[in-house]
Amino acid sequence: MESFAALAQGVMVALQPANLLFAFVGVMLGTAVGVLPGIGPALTVALLLPITFKLDPAGSLIMFAGIYYGGMYGGSTASILLNTPGESSSIVTALEGNKMARAGRGGPALATAAIGSFVAGTIATLGLALIAPTVVDIAISFGPEDYFALMVLAFCTVSAAFGSSVTRGLTSLFIGLTLGLIGIDLQSGQARLSFGIPDLLDGVEVTTLAVALFAIGETLSVAAAGARADEIIEPVKGSVFMNREDWKRSWKPWLRGTVLGFPIGAMPAGGAEIPTFLSYALEKRLCRKPEEFGNGAIEGVAGPEAANNAAAAGVLVPLLTLGLPTSATAAIMLAGFQQYGLNPGPLLFATAPDLVWGLIASLFIANAMLLILNLPLVGIWVRLLAIPRPWLYAGILVFATLGTLGANPSLVELGMLVAFGLLGYVLRRYDYPIAPVVVGLILGPLAEQQLRRALAISVGDPLTLFQSPVALVLLALAALALFGPLLFKLITGHRAPVGADED
Amino acid sequence: MAFRVRPLSRRSTLAALALAAVLPFGAAQAQVGDLRIIAPAAPGGGWDQTARSMQQALQADKLATNVQVMNVPGAGGTIGLAQFVNGSKGDPNALIVGGYVMVGAIITNKSPVDLSQVTPIARLTGEYEAIAVPAASPLKTAADLVAALKADPQKVSWAGGSAGGTDHITAGLIAKAVGVDPTRINYIAFSGGGESLASILGGKVTAGISSLSEYVAQAKAGKLRILAVSSAGRLPEAPEVPTFKESGIDVEIQNWRMVAAAPGITDVQKATLTETIDKMAASKTWQDILAAKGWANTYLSGPAFQAQLAKDIAATQVILKEVGLSQ
Amino acid sequence: MSETSASPSGPDKARLAIAAALGGVAAVVGWDAWRLSNVAAHSAVGPAAFPTLIAVGLALLAIANAVEAMRGIDEARPRDELKPMAWVLGGLLGQIALLPFAGFSIATGWLFAATARGFGRGPLWAHILAGTVLSFVIYILFAKGLQLSLPAGPLERLI
Repeated sequence: MESFAALAQGVMVALQPANLLFAFVGVMLGTAVGVLPGIGPALTVALLLPITFKLDPAGSLIMFAGIYYGGMYGGSTASILLNTPGESSSIVTALEGNKMARAGRGGPALATAAIGSFVAGTIATLGLALIAPTVVDIAISFGPEDYFALMVLAFCTVSAAFGSSVTRGLTSLFIGLTLGLIGIDLQSGQARLSFGIPDLLDGVEVTTLAVALFAIGETLSVAAAGARADEIIEPVKGSVFMNREDWKRSWKPWLRGTVLGFPIGAMPAGGAEIPTFLSYALEKRLCRKPEEFGNGAIEGVAGPEAANNAAAAGVLVPLLTLGLPTSATAAIMLAGFQQYGLNPGPLLFATAPDLVWGLIASLFIANAMLLILNLPLVGIWVRLLAIPRPWLYAGILVFATLGTLGANPSLVELGMLVAFGLLGYVLRRYDYPIAPVVVGLILGPLAEQQLRRALAISVGDPLTLFQSPVALVLLALAALALFGPLLFKLITGHRAPVGADED
Repeated sequence: MAFRVRPLSRRSTLAALALAAVLPFGAAQAQVGDLRIIAPAAPGGGWDQTARSMQQALQADKLATNVQVMNVPGAGGTIGLAQFVNGSKGDPNALIVGGYVMVGAIITNKSPVDLSQVTPIARLTGEYEAIAVPAASPLKTAADLVAALKADPQKVSWAGGSAGGTDHITAGLIAKAVGVDPTRINYIAFSGGGESLASILGGKVTAGISSLSEYVAQAKAGKLRILAVSSAGRLPEAPEVPTFKESGIDVEIQNWRMVAAAPGITDVQKATLTETIDKMAASKTWQDILAAKGWANTYLSGPAFQAQLAKDIAATQVILKEVGLSQ
Repeated sequence: MSETSASPSGPDKARLAIAAALGGVAAVVGWDAWRLSNVAAHSAVGPAAFPTLIAVGLALLAIANAVEAMRGIDEARPRDELKPMAWVLGGLLGQIALLPFAGFSIATGWLFAATARGFGRGPLWAHILAGTVLSFVIYILFAKGLQLSLPAGPLERLI
C-alpha cells in the first residue's frame, strides 16, 4: 500500500499542467527523432537528454520518459509505414505491419501498435512498481547456461514459424549466422571474417542489415517489377481505425506479449528482441488464420509490439532495483540519473524514493500521452502512403541512408547498406524468406557467447548445460516446439496447422 | 563515484549546457578560433561525452568560439584515429579524444596508425580498476584470491569487459605479478557492465574486474565485496578498500581519457593548444562537469603526460603478448 | 516443401548459382575457422568452433539447394526490368561517391532524384533540386537540433 501512496503522489506531481506540457513536448520530440531508422530509443534519449537538463528534476524526468516512449513508438511507426525498422526490437513489427499498411490497413496496424504498447507499458510499469524486487531476484539467478537454453528455444520456435520450405528457411538463417560471425570475437579478442578491414571489426549492425533487407531490398524489387507492380497503394481501405474484429484479434496477443516481454526484459541478458521473436512465433501458432501471417496478420503486430514495450519496462527492473544497466537505453538513463546527482544502485528505492516513484509515474503519464496524441494522428500518418510512388520510394531511401549516416557517418556502412539491399532483392526474387537472416544475426552471436561462457565457467564440462532446472524446462519447451507438430501428426494422424509462407 | 547531490554545481552545469545548446555555432573569432574534436565513438559513449563536455567548457569560458564534435565510431577508436591521422595533418584546430582502451585496441586490431602519430596534449580524467567478489564468497581478501589463483588459475573465473580491454589487461597483470601464467586465467568477457555485474551478484563467477565506480553502490548495499583497487593510494569514494600494492600485488593501472592534437603541428601551435586545454581543465565549468559526471580529475599535460603515455604503451604491448592476444 | 512437379525447362539455373555461392561462402568461413584454430586458445570452446559448425551447415545447405535446383523451376518467375533497378542502384552508389566532397545535401539529392527517376516520373533536374532542398533542411535539423554532424560539403559550409 505504501508503494501505491508513493505512486499516487508521483502521479499528482506529473499531472501538473507544466509537467503535462513537458510530457507532450518529450513525446513529440521522441517520436520525431525515433522515426529515423538506425536511431533507436537509446540514441534518441542520448541526443535529446541535454534538453531535459534545463528543467527541474520532476519536469526533466517526465520529459525524459516522454522521449523514451516516443522514441520507441517512432520506431514502430517507421517499421509499419515505411518498412524501415528504427531499432532491432521493432524488426518483427515490420513483417506484418508493413504488409497491412500496403493493403490499406495501416490505420489498424498503427492503432494496435499504439494501444498494445500502452496496455503492455501500463501493465509492465505496474509490475515494475509492485513486484520488481521479486522479479529481479529470479532474473539475477539466471546463468549463461539458462540464457543458452533460452536462445535454443528462440531458435526452435522461430525457425518453425518462418517459411514453408525448410531448405530455404535454413539457408536464410545460415546467411544471418554467417554475418553474425563478422567482427572481433568477444571472448578471445580475435577478428573473424574481417579480412583486415577495420570497419568490419565491430561486426554488422542489426539495424543496418534490417533496413537494407527490408527497405532497400523492397525498393529494388518494386523497381524491378516496373509496370507489372504498378498498383497504387491505397492508404485506407475500410476503416481507418480498428474494427470489432481487429479488437477481438488483438487483445489476447497484447496480454501474451506483455507476459513474454516483461520477465525477459528484466533478465540482465534478456533484451527486447527475443520476446518479439517468441511472441511472433507464438501468435502464428495460436492464430485461427495462420495463412494470414506473411500477408498482414494483425496478431503479428499486436503481440510483438506489446512484447517490446513490456520488455522496455522490464529493463528498468534491474536498473532501478540493483543499478544494473542491461541495455544501451538503460546505460543512457544511468547517465541521466547521474546528472541529478544520484547513482542508481541497490539503495536507490531507499535513498531517493521521490525520484524513483516520480519516474515510474512519469512513465505512466508519458505512455498515456503517447496514446492520446497518436491515435488521432494515425489518420494523418497513413496519408504518407498516398505520396506518389516515385517520391515515396525516393523518400524511403533518403530516410534509410540518413538513419545509417546519423548513427555512424561511414561510407563503408553505406556500402554495406547497398550490398545487403542487393542481398534482400536476390532473396525476394528467389523466394527465400528475409526475416531468418536478421534472426540469425541477432541470436547467433548471443547463443555462441552464452554457450562459451557457460563452458568456460564449468572449465569445459558440457553437463553444466543440463544441470539447471530453468535450462531443462526451456530446452524441453524447445524440443516441443521443434517436434511438437510431428508428435501431433503421429497422435492424431492429421497434419498440424503450420502457417503459410512468410514472404 | 560517490552519492553527490550538489545543487549549486549542478545549476552552473545546467547553465553551461543551456548556453551550449543555445549557441552551438558562434561566428566570431576568439583565442583559438574554431576547433574540431573527433570523438572516435558513437554518440552517448564515454569518449563522446568527454568530447561534448570539452565543447561545453571551451565555449562557456570563451576559450574557443566554435567547437564542433564529430563522431567516428568503430573498432575501439582506431577508425577515428586513422581518419584523424590521415585527414588532419598539420591542422592546428583539430583534436581527438581517446583513452587507454585505444592503446590496447591499436595493438590487438593491428591498427595501421598508432598514438605515436598524433601529438598528445593532456590526460583529462581517469578511472581505477577494482576486483569484487559476491558477498557470500569465501574469498575475504585479495590474498585469498591470489591463493586460489595460484592453486588452480582455471578454477578462478573472472567477469569483465571484452577480451583485450582494460579489465582483461588488469587481470593479466595481476596473474603475472603473482607468478601465474597469464594465458591460463579463466577470463569471461561480457559486453556490458550490467551483464557482468549480474553474473557476480548471481554468484556465477568467482570474481569480477571492472572500474571501481561499477561496484561502489553494490558494495555499500552489501551485495558484493571489493577486494582491492588499482590506484597508487586509497581513494576517497572507497577508503576502506586497500590498493593492489598494499595487498602484495605489484600492479597500478588507470583507465584514462586524453585529448591529442594532429600530427605535424608546430611547437608554437602545440603550446597554444596545451595552454587552452590547461585553462579549460582549470575552469569552474570543467570542474563542475567532472563532479556531475563523477569523473576523477587525473589531469596531466606536457612532457609528464608524454612520458606516462609511453610507459603505458610499452607495458600494454608486453602484457597483451603475454595473455596471447598479440604476436 | 512446395516443389511438387518437375518442370520440363531443366534445372533452375538461378538456384544453382545460389547453391554455388553458398558453397563459396562455406569455403571462406571454413578457411577462416581453420586460421583461427591455429591461434592458441585457452578456453574450452575457442573462437573457431562456431565458424566450423556454420561452415559445415552452409556446405550442407549448398548441396540441398543444388538438389532442389536440379528438380527444375517450381514456379515461373516474371522477367525483371533492369533499367529502373539500375537507376535505384545508381542513386545509392552515386550517393556514396558524392558524399565525401559534395556533402550530404547534394549526394542525397542525387539519391532522391535517381530513385524517383527509376520509378518513372518527371525531369531529373527538378528531382535533384527538390531532393537537395529536402536534404539541406534535414541537414540543418540534424546539425542544429541534434548536434549530429553529417558529412559537410560546399552547401553545408554556407551555414
